[in-house]
Parts: sequence; structure tokens; C-alpha cells
Amino acid sequence: MTNAVEIHELDYRAGKSFAIQDLDLTVPTGSIYGFLGPNGSGKTTTIRLILGLLRARAGTIQVLGEPMPLRAPTVLARVGFVPEQPHLDPTLTVCETMRFREAFYPTWDGDWAGRLLRTFDLDPNHPFGKLSKGQKGKVMMLLALAQRPDLLVLDEPTDGLDPVVRRDMLSALIDYVSQHGASVFISSHLVHELERMCDWIGVMDNGRLVSHMPMEQFKNGIKRLLVSEAPTDAGSAPFAVLARDRNGAASETWLVRGWESGMTAWFDGRGASVQSIVDLDLEDGFVELLRTFRRAPHGQEVL
Amino acid sequence: MFRVVLYGQWKWSRIVVILGTVAGFALPILSVQGASSDPTSAMKAGELLSVIQSWGVLYPVLAAAIGLLVAIATWAPDHRGRHVLALSLPLPRWRYVLLRFAAGLVLLVPTMLGVLAGAVLASATATLPPGLETYPVALAVRFALALGVAYAVFFAISAGTTRTAGIILGIIGAVIVVQVVASAAGIELDLTNPVQAVVMNWPGPLAIFTGRWMLIDV
Repeated sequence: MTNAVEIHELDYRAGKSFAIQDLDLTVPTGSIYGFLGPNGSGKTTTIRLILGLLRARAGTIQVLGEPMPLRAPTVLARVGFVPEQPHLDPTLTVCETMRFREAFYPTWDGDWAGRLLRTFDLDPNHPFGKLSKGQKGKVMMLLALAQRPDLLVLDEPTDGLDPVVRRDMLSALIDYVSQHGASVFISSHLVHELERMCDWIGVMDNGRLVSHMPMEQFKNGIKRLLVSEAPTDAGSAPFAVLARDRNGAASETWLVRGWESGMTAWFDGRGASVQSIVDLDLEDGFVELLRTFRRAPHGQEVL
Repeated sequence: MFRVVLYGQWKWSRIVVILGTVAGFALPILSVQGASSDPTSAMKAGELLSVIQSWGVLYPVLAAAIGLLVAIATWAPDHRGRHVLALSLPLPRWRYVLLRFAAGLVLLVPTMLGVLAGAVLASATATLPPGLETYPVALAVRFALALGVAYAVFFAISAGTTRTAGIILGIIGAVIVVQVVASAAGIELDLTNPVQAVVMNWPGPLAIFTGRWMLIDV
């Protein structure tokens, strides 16, 4: 089965200050892929490249098995997109906006659009430009879902929305995905939001992909260890050392991945001992990951 | 597809279209009424032609203004949305541009018809001195062509970023208006002579805006 999105060695430059370099990214078909990263890390740019809104300098992008931007019209007919900022005509009412969208998408499901309209409690006669931020977000999600896409690309769809609206939108999204097996590529800097729904995670920072792996693998096995008499060389360790900080003369804090019980024996065999083991949640793991990446000499992928 | 694009553009440009249609209808009628309001009610041919010619200046100005405003309104929703909607729709970009362009052209039709109707009505009601004739259809066709040219030029310019378009439109608009007014008023003004020779003289693209716009002529 082809992947929903495949990016290889992608290079993009915007002016002198920002570039995406050597980006390799794969979104498995049927997955919900969380795209994490701080503001300005390149998430929106990557999404625009995926959708053919921007042209890369080098590299290849395949979306739903088709090359982008070469086959953009074909691909975009199967992609539901919710951008970061409202992009719809503010003078059209919600109903007119739906009619506009329906005209361009042959797979548009009018019945379901009507049901979503009621679920989201939207007034169809209200102009889009006069809706609240949360209502605009709901309309954009409605439009993306009602076209019955094979892939949903969501760029911080819930950013700045209140928890009730956020929950409404995400539950509609999850309902759709569970019923239709669509793939989702969702960017956010709200770590906990992605933690609940995603099965894959990619982390961007400064135009580079820092990490890319299944969510379970990301969440499980990240530990913070307090090590006394820490060995200098950790090359033979059965776990990955992401970072180590000296606390004093005889103690260090290690951030490790792939930790399993019983691995304390590795320290014991080197005259060291583990004083404490702390589980990290996704947000802690994300923060530590970025910190490690930013310390790395050439911004290499750290996981 | 075209219908929804047209409807969206109508919402942006309806005030301009309505005002343009009213102005286009009123212009020929007012020009003839001005001519026949003389107390003797029997103007000499030369006087009448002079009055008609002075009103004629307003036709290219109206065409340029309506073309400009409809072109701006055509791209306005896309500029507001930073073109994200247009670029993410599942159709080739050239086709989207054509849809927008064609919808804008359709919205110019009421103004064209307004000029035609006003010119026909004015021709039917005018009392002409011997030797003069009315040319309502020729005037309306010329106005339609000028409107189409103005719209096409400003449509192309408006497709750029708002800032770029604003700068270019401001310069071009100012030059055209000054040049047309000066030309009609008989003032020797050489703002852009070389450019003017290429652009404004036949077969230049804007040649249609220059010369005499006469509803009544010999």
C-alpha cells in the first residue's frame, strides 16, 4: 500500500532567513500523523509544499501516490485542507460557502454537510466574515470533511479555540477517520491534543525534521535518569542517550530513549548507579527533544 | 462552477456594477439634454458637436473607472484569503484565473447595456440640426471594447500582491486620467510621450480610450 504522503530530500528556501533542508517524511496510509513543532519551525511551509501551494527547490513529494505539484488538481480533489488562517470569502454566508465548495468537489456529501452544520450549531445564513473564530474553524472543518477526502491536512486547526469547540471539531474528525479510514496530517504545537489522537508523530524545528516515529514509541521509553558516577562512554548502552547534563562532581542527568526495566545493570557493570528514573509525558519528551536537537552540532536528526 | 464564482464576485462588485450601469445609462441622455436645453432649442450643428464632444470625455473615464473597480473586486476575495483557497482548489490555476476573468466580464455587461440603452433612448429623443446623425450602437460598442480593455489590464495587474497592484494601478490610473482629461481639454501635456505613442496610439492597446467619443456626429 502506498503512503498517504512521501517526501524525499526536500529543499525549500524562503528568503535568507528560513529554509527547509533535506526533509524526508512519510505519512502511512490510514494513520493520524501529528506534526509537532514550535512556531516558525516550518510546519505550515511543509504543509504548503505538500499541497503544491509552494514550489520546492529540490526533492520529491508524493501525495496519495501522485507527484506534487505536477498532479495537484487530481490530488487536491481527494484532500481536505484546513489552513491556519481563515481563507474563505467573508461576504458569503455559511450556506453559500458550502455551495461554492460543493461546485468544485465531485465527492461532496450534502447530507452529511447538513448534519455537520447542525452538530456544529452553525447558522447557515450568517456571513463567514462575521463569525467568531471558533465558528470559522468549525466551518472550515465542515468543508474539509464534507468533501469526503482520502487525506485531511489540518494546519493548527484548533489553535486559539476554546476547549468546547476544540472537542467538537476533533470528535467530528475522529468520527470521520474511524468510519472512512482516511489519513490525517495534523500540525499543532498543542502537544496534549496530538497525544490523544495521533498514532504517528513528527517533530520539526528550524526547518528540519527532528524526529519521526509511531506515537507509542515516542511516548514510551523516554526517561530522565539521575546517574551517579556516570560512565564517560555510553556508546555500548542498550538504550539511546538523547542528552546528558552534569549536575555536580559525581552526578549527571541523562535523557534516554528505549529504556526498559533491568537496564540499570548496564550502569552497575560500569561502577555507576541509577538514583532515580522519571517517566516523561509527550510534552516533556517534546521539549527535551528540541533542546537536544538545538545542542546537536549540525542539527542532525536526533532520534 | 462558473455560477458560484460569478455569484461570489457579484457580492463584491454589485455596488460598482449598479452605479456603473446607472451612470452608463444616464451619460448619453444627459449629454443630449444638455445640448437641447438651449433657449432657442435649435442649436447650430457646430455648437451641438462641441457640447457632445465635451460630454464624450466621460465615456473613457467611466470605462476605465468601472474596469478598474470590477477588476479589483474580482481578485478581492482571493487577496483577503491570501490566495490559499484558489491554490488549494482541485483545478488548474489557469482555469481558475479564466473563471474569475469570465465572471468579471459578465459583470461588465450591465454597464455596457446601460450605455447602449441610454444612447438609443437619447438618440430617439434628440432633435438634430440638418446634417448630423446619431451613432448609439457605435458608441456602445466602443464603450464595451474600452471597458473590456480596461478590465483586462487591471485584472492582470490586480492579480499580483496588493502592494504591487496598488502601486502600478495608482501610477497607471493617474497617468490615464490626466492624459485623457488633458487631451480632451486640448492642453499640451507630454507626460509620457514615448510610452503614449506605443500604448495610446493605434494600434496600441489603449488607443480605444483616445479620440472623439461622439453620440452625435456628421
